[in-house]
Amino acid sequence: MHFAACPPPFAGCPGRASAENHRDDLMYITCCSQGYRDSDPLSEGVKHMAGRGCVRPAHRLTRKSSSPPLSLPPPAAGDMAEWKEEVEVLVQRVVKDITGAFRRNPNIDEIGLIPCPEARYNRSPIVLVDNKLGVESWCVKFLLPYVHNKLLLHRQKKLWLHRDELIDVTCTLLLLNPDFSTAWNVRKELIRSDILNPVKDLHLGKLALTKFPKSPETWIHRRWVLHQLQQGYTTAAARSKDGSCRSSVEHIHEIVQEEMRVCCEAAGRYPSNYNSWSHRIWVVQHLGKLNVKLLVDELSSTKHWVSMHVSDHSGFHYRQFLLRSLQSKTLQDRERSSRATSHSAKEQSPDLPSDEGGNWESLSVDLPCLIEEEMELNQDLIESYPGHETLWCHRRQIFSWIHQMRNEQSPLASPLVASLKSGDTPANGSQSSPAYVGFPTNSMDVDGVLDPSKHGYTQETKRLKRAPVQDSINHDSELRFISGILSSCRNSEQSRFAALYRKWLQTLLGH
Amino acid sequence: MGDVVSKHGTPQKDVAIKSDAPKTLFLDKHAQYIEAYGAKKDDYEYCMSEYLRMSGVYWGLTVMDLMGELHRMNREEILAFIKSCQHDCGGFSASIGHDPHLLYTLSAVQILTLYDSLSVVDISKIIEYVKGLQQEDGSFAGDKWGEIDTRFSFCAVATLALLGKLDAVDIDKAIGFVLSCMNFDGGFGCRPGSESHAGQIYCCTGFLAITDQLHKVNADLLGWWLCERQLPSGGLNGRPEKLPDVCYSWWVLASLKIIGRLHWIDREKLHLFILACQDEETGGFADRPGDIVDPFHTLFGIAGLSLLGEEGIKPVNPVFCMPEDVLRRINVQPELVS
Repeated sequence: MHFAACPPPFAGCPGRASAENHRDDLMYITCCSQGYRDSDPLSEGVKHMAGRGCVRPAHRLTRKSSSPPLSLPPPAAGDMAEWKEEVEVLVQRVVKDITGAFRRNPNIDEIGLIPCPEARYNRSPIVLVDNKLGVESWCVKFLLPYVHNKLLLHRQKKLWLHRDELIDVTCTLLLLNPDFSTAWNVRKELIRSDILNPVKDLHLGKLALTKFPKSPETWIHRRWVLHQLQQGYTTAAARSKDGSCRSSVEHIHEIVQEEMRVCCEAAGRYPSNYNSWSHRIWVVQHLGKLNVKLLVDELSSTKHWVSMHVSDHSGFHYRQFLLRSLQSKTLQDRERSSRATSHSAKEQSPDLPSDEGGNWESLSVDLPCLIEEEMELNQDLIESYPGHETLWCHRRQIFSWIHQMRNEQSPLASPLVASLKSGDTPANGSQSSPAYVGFPTNSMDVDGVLDPSKHGYTQETKRLKRAPVQDSINHDSELRFISGILSSCRNSEQSRFAALYRKWLQTLLGH
Repeated sequence: MGDVVSKHGTPQKDVAIKSDAPKTLFLDKHAQYIEAYGAKKDDYEYCMSEYLRMSGVYWGLTVMDLMGELHRMNREEILAFIKSCQHDCGGFSASIGHDPHLLYTLSAVQILTLYDSLSVVDISKIIEYVKGLQQEDGSFAGDKWGEIDTRFSFCAVATLALLGKLDAVDIDKAIGFVLSCMNFDGGFGCRPGSESHAGQIYCCTGFLAITDQLHKVNADLLGWWLCERQLPSGGLNGRPEKLPDVCYSWWVLASLKIIGRLHWIDREKLHLFILACQDEETGGFADRPGDIVDPFHTLFGIAGLSLLGEEGIKPVNPVFCMPEDVLRRINVQPELVS
C-alpha cells in the first residue's frame, strides 16, 4: 500500500545526457584515477586540493581529452572494462568526499542537489558551503547505481564490506534515496551491534528530511531509533536507583524537544505533511507519554504556525489531537486525585502515580477555556482568510466535540439519529441521495471490541458526563456565525463552505 | 499577514482541465506502455524504484489483467522472480537482496493469485510470517523491526484471505486495533489519534470488509467526508485542500464502493478527470493532467474507471484491487455495504 509510489522527485534529476556531456563527466573520473599516481612537481599541491574539490591542472585535462572519448551507455566489448573501472574510481572518490565533508563539518544541517547536467569543471561534485552539503546532479547517475548495487551484493553475501565502508555506503545511498528501507535496516543492525551510535542516525535522518520531507522510511527508521534510545535510558535508570533516573528523564525531554523541531521543519517544507505530523503525534504519545505540560506547550507553540498555514489540515488535526488528549488526561488526573482524597492516608503520599517519562509538572488545565479559545482563533482565521476548507473542517470537528460533550452531560441525552430529507448529501453534484442518514451516531460506539483501558478516546467519552462544557457555543451561535459570514462575504468559496457547514450542522442536530 | 498567507502560504488547490485533454480511453496505448515498461532499463530510475519493485510488478500485471492483456507479460520470468524474493522467514522482499516486508508479501501473493500459481512458493511459511508480525494489541508490524500502521493490518488480512487462512491470526484483536484508529470525522488514520487520510481509509474499510465488520463504520459520516474529496475539476484528493490525484480516485472511490456510497459523488466529472490524466502519445496515466505517466497511476486510473463501469475493462474488486473474476475463482468475495 504505497499512497505515493513514484520515486521521490529529484530536482534536476539526471536523465540520459548526451555523449558529449559524458565525456565531460568523466574528466573527474580521469583525474581520480590518475591523480595520485602523478609524480610531477604539481602533484603534491594537487593531492591536497583534490581532496577539497579544487580544480585540477589543465595539462591533465588536455592530455586525457586527446584520448578516445568515453561515453554512456558504456562502450561495447573491450572498452567496457576500462569504463567500469573508471566509474568505480569516480564513485569511490565521491563517497569518500561525502564522508570527508561530514568529518570536516559535523554540523552539516541541509543537503541538496545542485542542478548541473554536466561536469563543467574538473572538480569534486561534492560541495560544502557553510553547513550545506551539495551534490552536483551530473554525478548522481553514476553514484546511485554503484552504491545501490554494492549494498545489495553485500546483502546477498556476495561482497564483503568493512563496517566503516558499510556506514559510508548506506549514508550516501540514503541521502540520495531515503526510501530504500533495506539500507536503513543495515544501519539498524549496526546500531544493534553497538557499531553505530543511534544519535548519528537521528542526524542522518534529519538531513535526508531536508531534501525529502515526506520520506516514509526515514520517519519509520527515526521511530525505531527513538524507541531504542528510550529503552536504553529506561534500562539504565532502572539499573541505578541513585537518582540517575533524573538524567534519563532529562534525556527524553531533550529528545522530545528536538523531535518537535525536526517535525516543524519538515512540516514547513511540505504542506499537510502526513508523515511529519503523525510522527509528532507518535512522539507526544510514546516519548512524551501525553504529559499535560507538553500538551499545553504544544498547543501554544503551534498556534502561530497554524495561523500562518491556514490550508494545512494536518496542523489543525494535531491541535484536535492535543485538545482531546488533554481532556482524557485531565479526566484521568481528576479521577486519580479523587481516589487519593478518598484514601486520606495516601493523600500526601509520594507514591501517587505521576506522569511517566517527563520532568514536566502536573498542571491543572482549564479545558473549557482552551476549547473556547480554539473556536475564537478559528473564527478569527475564517474571517481573515476566506475560502479555506481546512478552517471549516476544523470548526466542524471542534463543534461536534462540544456538542457531543453536552449531549453526554445531559440526562435526557438520546442517541443522535437524524433523518435527512431527500437531496441532503454533501456532494458537489450528487446524482441521488440517501433516504436515511444515521448521522452521527457516536462514532466511537465500538466499545464492545475495545479494551477501554488502552484507548483513551473511548474512556473519555464515558467520563464526559462529568466534564464541563461550553455554554456560549451552541447551535444558535453557530447559525448566527454562518449568517454573518454569508451576509458579508464576497468570496464564493467562503460562501460555499459556510453553506456546507450549515447543512452539516442541520444534519448533526437532526433539523 | 493576510498577504503572506494568501500569496505564499496557500498551495494551489485544484487543476484546470484543458479543452484538448483526452476524452476517450486509449486502452491499446496503455497496454503497450505497460508491456514496454519492464524492458526499459535506465540504471538510475531502476535503482530509485527498486525498493518497491514487487508492488510495481503487481500494478503492471493487474492493470494488464483488467484490460484483458495479461498474456502479453512474461509469466515464467515473473514467477521465477517472485520465488527468488521469498526469504527463509516466509516473507517477500521488493526485489532480490532487499529485506522482506508485509507490503511486498501481499503484492507477491496478489501476483501469484492472478497467475493461479500459489504453489510455486511456500505458503505455510507465508502464513507463519504474517502471524509472527501480529502484536499484543492486535496491530501488525510491517516487518521484524516493528513499525505499526493500519496499512499493515490490511496487508496482513488481505494476504491471509487470499490464502484462505484468515483464522491464523487473532482477528478480534486485529479488529479492535483498526477501530481504535477511527476518528470523529468517520475516517481512519495510520495509528490511534492520527489524521484521517483517504489511503488509510481504503486500508481500514478494506480490512473491515475482509473481516466482516463493516457495520462498525459510520457509513454516512465517512461517506460525507469521502465525497467532500471531490473538487470542481472532478478529481478527488486524499485530504482537505490537497491537489486531486488519479490514485485518490481509487482510494476514495473504492472506499465509497465498500461502504455503499459510491453514488454520492459526481461520477461523470470524475470520469472526465481520469480520462484527462492519460498521455495519448506514450500511453499510461499520470497523477494529474499533463504530468508524467507511471504504472502506479495507470493501474489506479484504469481501476477507477472500472468502478465507474467503463466498458472494455474487467470489473475490479474494490477491496483487493484485483479483477473480480480472479477472486470469484478462488471464492474470496467479501461482502460490501449495499
